Amino acid sequence: MAEPQKKSFLPVFLNGLITENPTFTLMLGMCPTLGVTTAAMNGVAMGLATTFVLVFSNLIISLLRNIIPDKVRIPAYIVVIASFVTMIDLFMQAFLPELRAVLGTYIQLIVVNCIIFARAESFAAKNPPLASLADGLGMGLGFTCSITLLAAVREIFGSGTCFGLQVMPAGYQPMAIMNMVPGGFITLGVLMILVNVIKRVAARRSEERKEEKLA
Amino acid sequence: MFAKRMFPGGIHPHEGRNGKKVNRANPIQELPAPQRLIVPLAQHIGAPAKAVVAKGDRVLMGQMIGEPGGFVSAAVHAPCSGRVADITLCKNFAGAEVPCIIIENDFKDEWVELHPAQRPETLTADEMRTIIRNAGIVGMGGATFPTPVKLTIAKDKTFEKLVINGAECEPYLTADHRLMLEKPGAIIDGIQLLMHAFGVSEALVGVEENKEDAIQALRDAARGVEGISIRPLPVRYPQGGEKQLIYALTRRVVPAGALPIETGCVVLNVGTVFAIHEAVRQGMPLIHRITTVGGLVNNPGNYLVRIGTPVRALLNACGGIQPHVRTMISGGPMMGTAFTDVDIPVTKGCSGILALDKSAIDVDESACIRCGRCLRACPMHLQPAQMDRLIRAERFDEVDKLGVLNCIECGACTYVCPAKRLLTQSFRAGKRIVNIRRKKVRDREAAERAAEEAKKQQAPADGKGKEE
Amino acid sequence: MQKQLAITSCPHIRSRKTTQRIMQDVCIALAPAGIAGIVFFGARAAAIIAVSVITCVLTELVYEKMMGQRVTIGDWSAVVTGLLLAYNIPATAPLWIPMVGGVIAILLVKMLFGGIGSNFMNPALTARAVLFVSWGGIMGSYPVTRFMEQTADGLSGATPLAELARVFAGQATLAEGTGLWDLFIGNCPGVLGETCKLAILLGGVWLILRDVADWKIPVSMIGTVFVLYLLTSGFNFGLSLREVLSGGLLLGAFFMATDYATSPQSNLGRVIFGVGCGLIVFVIRAYANYPEGCSFAILFMNVVTPLIDRYTMPKCFGEVKQHG
Repeated sequence: MAEPQKKSFLPVFLNGLITENPTFTLMLGMCPTLGVTTAAMNGVAMGLATTFVLVFSNLIISLLRNIIPDKVRIPAYIVVIASFVTMIDLFMQAFLPELRAVLGTYIQLIVVNCIIFARAESFAAKNPPLASLADGLGMGLGFTCSITLLAAVREIFGSGTCFGLQVMPAGYQPMAIMNMVPGGFITLGVLMILVNVIKRVAARRSEERKEEKLA
Repeated sequence: MFAKRMFPGGIHPHEGRNGKKVNRANPIQELPAPQRLIVPLAQHIGAPAKAVVAKGDRVLMGQMIGEPGGFVSAAVHAPCSGRVADITLCKNFAGAEVPCIIIENDFKDEWVELHPAQRPETLTADEMRTIIRNAGIVGMGGATFPTPVKLTIAKDKTFEKLVINGAECEPYLTADHRLMLEKPGAIIDGIQLLMHAFGVSEALVGVEENKEDAIQALRDAARGVEGISIRPLPVRYPQGGEKQLIYALTRRVVPAGALPIETGCVVLNVGTVFAIHEAVRQGMPLIHRITTVGGLVNNPGNYLVRIGTPVRALLNACGGIQPHVRTMISGGPMMGTAFTDVDIPVTKGCSGILALDKSAIDVDESACIRCGRCLRACPMHLQPAQMDRLIRAERFDEVDKLGVLNCIECGACTYVCPAKRLLTQSFRAGKRIVNIRRKKVRDREAAERAAEEAKKQQAPADGKGKEE
Repeated sequence: MQKQLAITSCPHIRSRKTTQRIMQDVCIALAPAGIAGIVFFGARAAAIIAVSVITCVLTELVYEKMMGQRVTIGDWSAVVTGLLLAYNIPATAPLWIPMVGGVIAILLVKMLFGGIGSNFMNPALTARAVLFVSWGGIMGSYPVTRFMEQTADGLSGATPLAELARVFAGQATLAEGTGLWDLFIGNCPGVLGETCKLAILLGGVWLILRDVADWKIPVSMIGTVFVLYLLTSGFNFGLSLREVLSGGLLLGAFFMATDYATSPQSNLGRVIFGVGCGLIVFVIRAYANYPEGCSFAILFMNVVTPLIDRYTMPKCFGEVKQHG
């Protein structure tokens, strides 16, 4: 991100989705990651809600980046972020009351989610609106994908279902620990190992390919 | 515990065939000098000796053929009469090539004229040091540190107690044991001479309690002599380590990084004391020593060997080594050096020649299981497993902080390690690197200080210039 | 004569103790408790032990093969984990329980953290905790032994610990509960390897005699529990003794708290560790919701171990005087 202005839309988007995935690489936003990921659907909803807030807060903060005085930037960010969180919260209460009830206070806690703060501080405040939008979208979807994956794994082992559908054989005795916080930690750790292994293998492959080309 | 005179840590190493139990009963035999003797000029810690004979010269037994090459150095003497065949590079036990004087034995054993001290009981400290220096005496326990240097006490230090090391804690070795048993009078005499010369009123002789006969012999010899006490010590390796011995005998702790004289003690091996006795009473330089041959040899024994005798001659005297010998050791099994060439000569510090089987080499390092055995074994209270981990991770600042430089390389941790990790080897490497890094830091600081100094001197000059 | 000689670094002799021998000694020490389990709970216990051990060894083998690492199953540590895990499972559990437990213990707790010596919690105990939290119904129902009065479902109504908790609370008397002799020889409900205290003590003595386990941990841990019960029960000696002989305290103290990788290395550290374990066992047993707290106590102290190690490591010989 040395010269972000020159970055086009796609790399910024992919950066959030894969390279600097907020959950598996930056390890940001651990609170909802561990708190709500007991069912795949929760993961999707939480992720999309966060994405919405992230995209618009990034956009607005980027637009205002030359107006907001440096000393009061944190309160200013909070005002912007909180507005969007309130919007999504009211929206969910109106149209998705059951999901809202499950996610509970975690929706309101998006205000203090560190992904959103981190992106506002380290990206939106220094980059033009369009790039910030792409960054918000990439980061948001990256977050959504990872917590959905995490939630799906926990749901499969913890309840024998995935998105509510029975996937485990009938005699399966659910592994209760997966529905508890320790299960969240264990799953997160194992997934992080797998993601890192895959990344390393991919990096080695691409290096080999480069070498082949050179040869 | 206090009554038992224990030092912290330590181990009880096991012995294989022909260990102490067998060899302690074998009296010292004199090994005839062979046809050719190879006398290294560097047999001690410090600068090598300088050859004072040339190829083709005739030398007499006991004649000085190498003079000390500096303050921390020792003289070397001809172990037999004969002709200097060559002065050339030969391998030593550590595998390095060192300059050696090769003497062709004429089997006449013609002695050079010896000058025993005229009035041994009235020697001054300086006279005593000169005699010891001229006799080329070094620490005979294996460290080979020049003895006169050890006995040079700095002005601000006091020398209150002479500590004599008769512990012989290394497995297999019985050379000191036999010496104490066969020459107790000479040892006690050597101690008395030193006490007179240096004005020391107390001498403590530490002997491991499994050598009851040696303790008895020394006690008999010391009967009626004031100031010398023979102290049995528990059998525990490394009882013969300087710091451990001082602690066990006097309860004084040598501060980390300091020399034993800080506690008012000087430690000498019984072999060294015997050599001093010979030098004073008979004017004899150090040309032979007692060496144990043990392990998988056909006839183990204790031999009075001329310095420069190739190991081959010693092994032949013992009926050769057995077929399943896989490694040869000079010194004890815990701290000795492995060598492969049996033409290497016996030197002043060679307390034993051991032939061991494959159990010593076929070790497979596995992961540390954190059992803490090394922690309990370390006589210096270090944290071997932790230091090893950090050394392998190349985190040398932390290694330094854990005190790796205090490691005495006794090998106790490596001996007990169930994962068979090569801890001592790791620490040797670690110590070297930490020393290099410390030196770099010192050099840089010195350079910075010098630069600052230069600036300060310049600044006032500049200031004056402006005022004017 | 010289051609076969090798150069190695000193020391040139090594003790005969190896990791493998230590682990084999632990297996030997664990054998009596396993045999007692089979005697009291029948062939089912043997099946659980077998499945658990096989799963643990296979998991380690497969992982190491897959990762291209040196195969270390020859050090017998996976067997020890398998045995300990099995001993913490009630004999009535279905066989997939030790399987899942074995994979958790070896893969999740041991191998992913770097294999033997690198795990920060005891693998068998962690697996037991996961199983216990996940399938409380299975892991928490204890069968009666073959020599006790049989019940309809083969399960016991009250464990000795539950009885003792009532005595401690003043709601029952000692005479109503399991007899001291039955507690000692293992004729009482419980998981399959913890009931026979005689067998565990035999194994514990073996471990200490063979210099495998340090006596300081079990003695300080059991001692702490005993003393705390004495103090809080108005010097009720019978109750305190029964508390020591009930549940998994002895098994945990001798075999699981003494696990090298997860207990402090220094002497002082080990005593602190043991006292800490005992204290937490007492607190959980006497005041918390769970009837037994031995495994959680040890797990908690496992996590504290690096901290204890940090403050109890010995000072370099000679360093003390310099500062003092």
